[in-house]
Amino acid sequence: MIESIAASKCPRCATVVAPPAPYCPRHPIAMTPLEIQGIGEVVTFTTLHSPPEGFRSPLHIALVELEEGARFVCHGSETRGLKVGATVAIEAIDNVYYFSHLGTLDRARIFWRRAGRAGDRMNAIARSLAKRVLKGRTRA
Amino acid sequence: MASVWIAGAGMTRIGRRGEALPDLMAEAAHTALSAALVETPDAIVVATMNPEEFLGDGNFASRIATHMGFAEVPALRVETATSSGAAAFYTGFAQIAAGLHRRVLVVGGEKMTHLSTPRVSELIGRSIDPYERSYGATMPALAGLITRALTQQGVGLREFSQVAVKNHAHAARNPYAHYQQPVTLAAVMESRIVADPLRLLHCCPISDGAAAVLLTAEPAPVRVAGVGQGTDTLAVRHRHALTSFRATQEAAKAAYAMAGFGPERVDFAELHDAFTPFELIALEDTGLVPPGKAGRATLDGDTSLDGRLPINPSGGLKARGHPLAATGVAQIVECVWQLTGSASGRQVEGRVALAHSIGGLATNNWVTILERHPSGRA
Repeated sequence: MIESIAASKCPRCATVVAPPAPYCPRHPIAMTPLEIQGIGEVVTFTTLHSPPEGFRSPLHIALVELEEGARFVCHGSETRGLKVGATVAIEAIDNVYYFSHLGTLDRARIFWRRAGRAGDRMNAIARSLAKRVLKGRTRA
Repeated sequence: MASVWIAGAGMTRIGRRGEALPDLMAEAAHTALSAALVETPDAIVVATMNPEEFLGDGNFASRIATHMGFAEVPALRVETATSSGAAAFYTGFAQIAAGLHRRVLVVGGEKMTHLSTPRVSELIGRSIDPYERSYGATMPALAGLITRALTQQGVGLREFSQVAVKNHAHAARNPYAHYQQPVTLAAVMESRIVADPLRLLHCCPISDGAAAVLLTAEPAPVRVAGVGQGTDTLAVRHRHALTSFRATQEAAKAAYAMAGFGPERVDFAELHDAFTPFELIALEDTGLVPPGKAGRATLDGDTSLDGRLPINPSGGLKARGHPLAATGVAQIVECVWQLTGSASGRQVEGRVALAHSIGGLATNNWVTILERHPSGRA
């Protein structure tokens, strides 16, 4: 399923920004709300090895260009093998946007990683299980 | 518009300093004042990016003025994130150009090394768009995104690594620099990854320090030929371009227009290389080298101390150090010392210098052009 992302458009210059903003960054004009599809092209990406407090290392961040030119900052589970220009899907998991073709395993991994961040010890076993499964997949 | 001159310049050694920020700023200010043979200025412009958080001190213009013995001199503070020093210089310039004052002291400084690196990173990161910050974007992260986009255009790791090698080599000849040691290309290219493809030695250090200049309405050794400001969206995702900075291009355009000449007359420059790829971007955005040629010019040695167009003779932010609000003023101090022949050990030849300062992730940038007095080293 492709996610729908809230955005807004400038009636004067047609700039689309996501998430929506009250005013166009370049014109003192109220923007019109709209929804755009959560699918786009990777403009650039990085992997941060000393992320700020509250984030796990390594932190994968990408800038993705959605339809109508809106550029969107999101996380990913991995940037290895990712190419600038690749088409990715954006999906919200627990109110945070992630890029990638999310398979079941990716979904599970992201879910468990975030659950772990909240400090839920109960997830530890499930997380290590998921990791084992993923490691197996990486080797293969 | 009346001409504005720089009659004195001073700065502290940049690095890990034990002194309190007001002491560092007083040291720089008194050096600039004595160089200008002025005891008391008509006004003071203070630049500090975030003393509220770094030090827990507010009302900083009065704090500094009183500490230096100028409690009765009008003082104000200017802030445009990491380019605050350049913004303060502009403010002092404008005060004299408008005829409001005849002698203005501009002093910038920052004290950061007493805090942990993650804390400093977080405080500097507050100048980033809040939404991007909520995704963990720090300055190195955004610089990593920009550097990846640059590499897509053919700029190689060797090119932006060579910037670090060059600037460290310059700093090794500058007694005021944070780093006094040269680095090898291999060491830069093999340093640990911070924000892929950026590595540790592509990033500037965390430093303490202060710098000051005394601006006057009376002719002095160096004239301010032009000052320009350029701005862009706070959010990097709203930019039209990633591999050039509109804020620099507009600042340069405005500064050249005021000066009445273009980049062809610039002999050397201090550019904002908080991350070494930014020096390559700035070289092209200021028009000092044609688009797409900055990497080649760097590898060919054109931008070295003995090159055709020396860039960052001080060592730049990369190796002289980057005490935030001190930096914009420190760049101008270096240009003044170079123009007046007092940059021993790293002296370059030239009549016209350019200083370029980036505020935030290139949201509020400045270009300042300085010219040696026609009569020579007055």
